[in-house]
Amino acid sequence: MSVKYTPVQWNRSKIFYDFVVLALVFAYVLVFVWLAPMFMGDVKQADGAIVRARAFGTCAFLMLTVILAIGPLARLDTRFLPLLYNRRHFGVITFFVALTHVMFVINWYFDYSSTPRFEALLTSNTSYFQLLGFPFETLGLLALFALAALATTSHDFWLRFLGPRLWKSLHYAIYFAYALIVGHVAFGSLQSQTNPTFTIVTAASVLLVCGLHLAALKRERESSGHAAAGDWIRVAAVEEFDNGFAQIVRLGNGDRVAVFRHENQLSAISNACAHQNGPLGEGRIVNGYVTCPWHGFQYRLADGCSPSPFTEKVPTYALRRDGDSIFVSSKKNPPGTYVEPLTIAENA
Amino acid sequence: MSTGALLIWLAEVWLYVGAVVAVAFLMIGIGRIDENARGSYTFRPLLVPGVLLIWPVVLWRWASAELLGLDAVVSRDRPLRDAHRQVWIVLAVLIPLLFIVSLAVRQSPPKSGSTAVQINPTAQ
Repeated sequence: MSVKYTPVQWNRSKIFYDFVVLALVFAYVLVFVWLAPMFMGDVKQADGAIVRARAFGTCAFLMLTVILAIGPLARLDTRFLPLLYNRRHFGVITFFVALTHVMFVINWYFDYSSTPRFEALLTSNTSYFQLLGFPFETLGLLALFALAALATTSHDFWLRFLGPRLWKSLHYAIYFAYALIVGHVAFGSLQSQTNPTFTIVTAASVLLVCGLHLAALKRERESSGHAAAGDWIRVAAVEEFDNGFAQIVRLGNGDRVAVFRHENQLSAISNACAHQNGPLGEGRIVNGYVTCPWHGFQYRLADGCSPSPFTEKVPTYALRRDGDSIFVSSKKNPPGTYVEPLTIAENA
Repeated sequence: MSTGALLIWLAEVWLYVGAVVAVAFLMIGIGRIDENARGSYTFRPLLVPGVLLIWPVVLWRWASAELLGLDAVVSRDRPLRDAHRQVWIVLAVLIPLLFIVSLAVRQSPPKSGSTAVQINPTAQ
């Protein structure tokens, strides 16, 4: 943000969101510990530490599943956008749940020998060249490091310091963390399960996450069309622009431009929000400002600048009309450059 | 020294260097390169774990921002959407494959009711 940093930017919505997530985690762990003996045949007689470790482990896995489902769900159906709004807090809570799982595991499985616990974790199983008995602990440990990197760089300072591109690149680690955790679960816990419940839950998670991401990619490809080359790119016919919404066009260099209609004027700005590169073209115009659907950052249409005191700005593009069609220049103006809006007829 | 002990020693060295970088950056550097951090101190302890983990990136970005200014070294309008597509096309194959392979190598547990076989009678 372009205002003074605070430890946590809470508001009523975010406090409610965090409260619901924490309450669900608490309830899940309690119910799991209570019901575990009914569906975990191998730990019926085992110590409670194993049950608690599995409660937090499965909870972290399910939370990661939900986190990864939120993004594509919000792209497929805008009713899920409120879940996206505070996903970073959800991610941080997930890291702490996963860390609790790891502490239970280390304090139980590696605490009764002369070898230091963390050294024992890394050396007790080194069968890296066979699938059966593969050291699934290492997969979980790598996933924990990835989640730690995401949680510790989730503050808005990191977004500004690293920039959206590098920050997003770093946060792509969540996808690999999910793959590692699926491997950790599949080559670990599922190998000894006699009850199919967790196998089915894991399969459902994999199908849900992969299926939703592929569906969202398909939708995005259809909505933004093929990349177009040339100095001026056709966007749409005048009558195809709905007041308050945008048409998105993909340029030859891969950049996306959002062309908004506000009353009887058209303006074009970059489709990438300066905050986290959210899709501005999928946002709406609120009080005359384009509002990012991800986190509510706002921009003036004519110059791509955020209202004071914020200082974010996005590139703008020139528009021209040729007959019934609207064309956008493929030349990007520097962020914050004023471009006179294109006026169209009131009833267009 | 075992491989595990060596890895732990390397991790400790990494964190110690990170701690030095965190002290320098959060007490001096952050206010020099980011005007939003000037006069704002309560959020800084929250950044310590991040600096410990990615201190080489912090040093590199800090040096670049000192030379050119923070706004000049961060690109804010170059999204990674195409990379996102490629990543998920690969993962949508890799993750289910991982799951299927794990089920394929799984050994069946002993059937209930089967009797145990004593392999060393003299142990009694």
